[in-house]
Amino acid sequence: MAFALQAKTGAPLTRRRPPHTGIAWLFLAPFAVIFVVFTAIPIISSLAISLTDMKSADLQTPFGVDFSGLENYVSLLSDPNFVRAILNTLIFVVVGVPVTMVIGFALALVLNNGIRRFRSVFRGLFYAPVVTNIVSVALIWQYAFNQNGTVNEVLANLGFAGPNWLGDENLAMPVVLLLGIWRNFGTAMLLFLAGLQSVPEDVKEAAALDGAGPWRRLWSITIPLIMPTTLLVSVLLSVFFLQVFDEPYLLTNGGPLGSTESMALFTYHQFGFGNFGISSAASFILLIIVAAVSALQFRLLRSRS
Amino acid sequence: MKTRPALRRSRLIPLAAILAATAIIATGCGRSSDGAAPQAAGSIDDSKASGKVTLWAPDGDATALDKVLAPFESDNPDVDVEVTLVPSDDYNTKLQTAIASGTAPDVAFLYTEAQTQFLASNAFAPVPDGVADSSSFFKGSWAAGEVDGTAYSVPWYAYTRLLIYRDDFAQNAGATAPTTWDETIPFFKKLQEGGAESGYGADVGWDTYNGQNLAIFGYQAGESLLSADGKSWALDTPGMVKAAEFNASFFSSGVSSPDTPQFLDAQPYLVSGKTGSMISGPWVIATLDTTAAEPGWTAAHIKTAVLPAGPDGSVGQLAGGSWGVTAKSKNSDAAWKTIKFMAEKDTQVAQYKAAGSLPAVVDAWSDSSIADQPLLAPFLEQMKNVKPMPAASTWNEVSTMLGKELEQVARGKETAAEAMANAQKQADSIGTGSD
Repeated sequence: MAFALQAKTGAPLTRRRPPHTGIAWLFLAPFAVIFVVFTAIPIISSLAISLTDMKSADLQTPFGVDFSGLENYVSLLSDPNFVRAILNTLIFVVVGVPVTMVIGFALALVLNNGIRRFRSVFRGLFYAPVVTNIVSVALIWQYAFNQNGTVNEVLANLGFAGPNWLGDENLAMPVVLLLGIWRNFGTAMLLFLAGLQSVPEDVKEAAALDGAGPWRRLWSITIPLIMPTTLLVSVLLSVFFLQVFDEPYLLTNGGPLGSTESMALFTYHQFGFGNFGISSAASFILLIIVAAVSALQFRLLRSRS
Repeated sequence: MKTRPALRRSRLIPLAAILAATAIIATGCGRSSDGAAPQAAGSIDDSKASGKVTLWAPDGDATALDKVLAPFESDNPDVDVEVTLVPSDDYNTKLQTAIASGTAPDVAFLYTEAQTQFLASNAFAPVPDGVADSSSFFKGSWAAGEVDGTAYSVPWYAYTRLLIYRDDFAQNAGATAPTTWDETIPFFKKLQEGGAESGYGADVGWDTYNGQNLAIFGYQAGESLLSADGKSWALDTPGMVKAAEFNASFFSSGVSSPDTPQFLDAQPYLVSGKTGSMISGPWVIATLDTTAAEPGWTAAHIKTAVLPAGPDGSVGQLAGGSWGVTAKSKNSDAAWKTIKFMAEKDTQVAQYKAAGSLPAVVDAWSDSSIADQPLLAPFLEQMKNVKPMPAASTWNEVSTMLGKELEQVARGKETAAEAMANAQKQADSIGTGSD
């Protein structure tokens, strides 16, 4: 990227060391050390582990394991449980990201244009799910969606017999997804709100004078102008839903019959079984997918802006 | 253009690092079998214990350990036992990590039924002479700590799972506890006649636990789940299919529903009559009064019975806690003396009174505090006929997989025979960890 930038601007390059390099490194050191120790080394060693058949019994002699090449990757991609986890994760992304964005955008629009008096109160309320503790929230949801839980009690009062939400193969996923959406729409709303407030009023006024109605202004002025925000939100949400773990772990632990097991949860389960090689390989496949999706979205982001 | 080489170099650095790390692993490869050689067992004498002993145990049964160990510390004024309680969910992982990094305690709690993976790695020292009389314990509890004839752990408490049922429903319908598989479903149906919504409470989604139950049913059908040499799984045998069919019959006969109960519901459901029975451990008996919010409720409503016998008898599941001393302990003498104290009959009774742990020492069951409780008597009877879970370090993974297959059967997506054939295939690729 550095090269591309320089090539574009054609900035002259100095051969001399810029002054203060030493001090710059000094300031960089705390981050660099933490990054190397807690990010770079673990990622590299986990890549190395993913190429071995390391299991829990090897913990005492981690260097005594056998090199197995891409065997873990091959066996993962032929494991129906892992393929199911990939598909589940895709459902999380394909459904979760757009729904969260639409809700977030709609709320931001309402807060930006309609509500003026209690804007900060509503903003705080809608953002609350983002900052609440997911463990306690999930416990409450678990009770609420229990067969004899609050949701079914309400349904019973309306005359419907409620299903066993979290125990049903087809219904568990929507509930888990709903929790993910509920937890994230606040972030989307806040970012969209910031984006909307940066749309210049004069452009909108000019469009209004030219006879554009509210829908036309939204479609032709606002939405194109906040495109950078939209793409940023989509990247953030995609990364979140690709790595989704807390929601299925806490609500269903991946069940029933693996219908809510995400890739991250699959990795965690394999780690628990002591299959460190397989588990590292699974996390690397996830890393590659996350990197690819983010790269794609950033490319879009750059070309649009 | 001059930037290109610099750019390349900066990109090459992480790549080189990755290659280097991979090379280290690759060249250092080849699993050597010469690890730490097993130590010879020594012996301990009657002198006083001294020095600091660090001890790790999961919370739960060990919560009152400080109190139980107080007499030992006052008898041995120079010893200082430092008890660390670890959240039980993380216990095995934490212990494993500590052993790998050389920070393990002197004395470590081991789950009696899940200690194979630790004992097999030579991380624990053999039990020296003079610590405990092996014949004083339940046979299965002691045997679970042996590897190739050498004992590495000393049992502390023991329990097993039993049939726990609503006696009031049984009496309403004039039924008595089943003694064979054939009588089981009719008994559960009677419980429904007597007032239960579902005769038997089964949690279809609790995979590991259901896998363990299947193992017990398999034992009752004469199977061991492993091949004769213990190196591969034997899950698609006729006995295992029978066991899976027995498990599936709870659902197909309508005495259990795949919908109820989910794990937190098990006890409230039994109390409210949504279910008429469950297969579970002694803690249920200790906590049902609290669930019912009525002292004496358990004694008035609940009975326990030995598991119904399959074609090969009424084997139950061995479970409990044991103690081991880590091979690298610096104070193993005092560590073993601490364990010796915990294996004494009086300490076992004191531990029962303090935390409700059922003794691993058979004699302690004759103490009136235990012997006078009719609900516990079937536990003693069942404990004399128990087997540990299959001795494979991959058992946890296999039992989870078995539970998933059973769930398919319970939901009517597979037959028992198909499920066991699938299970065999998956278990073959998981292995037993002994290769």
